[in-house]
Amino acid sequence: MGSMFFGQYLLSKGAINREALIDAIERQRSTNLSLVELAVRDGCLEPQRAEGILTRYRTTDAGLKELCLEYGQIDREKLDELRRIQKSVWVRIGAALVASGHLTRDQIDEHLAAFYEVQHEASQRLEADFRACSDPETVKTFVELSVFYLKRFTNGPVKLQTLTEDGGALSSGRRRYAQKLVGDRELFCALDLPSQVATVVAQGFIGVPVEDDSEVAIDAVCECVNIIGGHACTRLEASGFRLRPEPPFSTEGDEPAGDLRSSTCARVMAGDDEVDVRVFV
Amino acid sequence: MTKWRVMTVDDSAAILTIIAAYLEDSEFEVIAAERDGIMAVERFAQERPDIVLLDLIMPGQSGVETLGRILAIDPDAFVVIVSSLGTEDAVHECLTSGARSFLQKPFTRDDFIDFMRDLTQVA
Repeated sequence: MGSMFFGQYLLSKGAINREALIDAIERQRSTNLSLVELAVRDGCLEPQRAEGILTRYRTTDAGLKELCLEYGQIDREKLDELRRIQKSVWVRIGAALVASGHLTRDQIDEHLAAFYEVQHEASQRLEADFRACSDPETVKTFVELSVFYLKRFTNGPVKLQTLTEDGGALSSGRRRYAQKLVGDRELFCALDLPSQVATVVAQGFIGVPVEDDSEVAIDAVCECVNIIGGHACTRLEASGFRLRPEPPFSTEGDEPAGDLRSSTCARVMAGDDEVDVRVFV
Repeated sequence: MTKWRVMTVDDSAAILTIIAAYLEDSEFEVIAAERDGIMAVERFAQERPDIVLLDLIMPGQSGVETLGRILAIDPDAFVVIVSSLGTEDAVHECLTSGARSFLQKPFTRDDFIDFMRDLTQVA
């Protein structure tokens, strides 16, 4: 069993059904507000400035707290007060399930203990799988950056689950967004995304609504892959690798699978959806 | 107020859209947007923009090749490379090829406008 969210774990164990999970997530959404949302509600942050902070959050690696301080004109004292409010009303998924009457506190505690054990094992397995894959540093760099940017562009929870070597075939219902990196080695990086995730990524990147599978959406996701690939090259340069990205492309086929020696597939949960982050070496 | 005339060159329509949106209601005006290097050189010759924002990684004619052709038309052209790639090698190659500056993607509107305003101090 790979790394997963607690709600997903409960679902996989049959402790709750999908309706109960959705119910709990909706309860969380109504109470768990970000610092920016709390600040707007409090009246100490104008909505337009909040939008600017969220855009900056999506497109840089800065944290929300530092962005509120730097661009929100909120002082540290006010921010601490908002953090306290946020903490006091924040509902974790287990508590939301208890509050909704789907599980008891004791049941949650019991499942949590087992969940932490499973997560610890999954995390150790992931580390071992990274070490065992054909090009550990490149794979880890690309996977970490992909998870980071998927989180930013979707503005939602993203979690790396498993890492496997496979043939690199594209699963049905997905499109592949890929980029070739050349230099002192040759490899491909790719994101295999179902269209609903691609749309969310594209919208998060451009900042305006786009239609599923439209040219604009595809182009925007390709550019996201380009950003991940470019940053991967930049980060790998510090380790002595000399890589350069070629223009990204999108395909509904399996390329470049079959042309290269191996394909590492990182299965990632983005909200409710599974996406594959791939490195072909 | 006379606006700075900007030409954007990027194979990604998304990036062209974002840059155009960021520059709206500013002292900069996008007078041309091209998605490939060959068209960009032709358009540069016609429009002679004040600033060219040029992508580095493009299919066909690359950003560095496009930069060379633009500088062959006008050695004083003010060309800035905009790329997701920020390796020392890439930055060095662009600057020694005649680019005036380098901006790594992604960027926010505020950072981008600040960057553009800094450029106008030297353009």
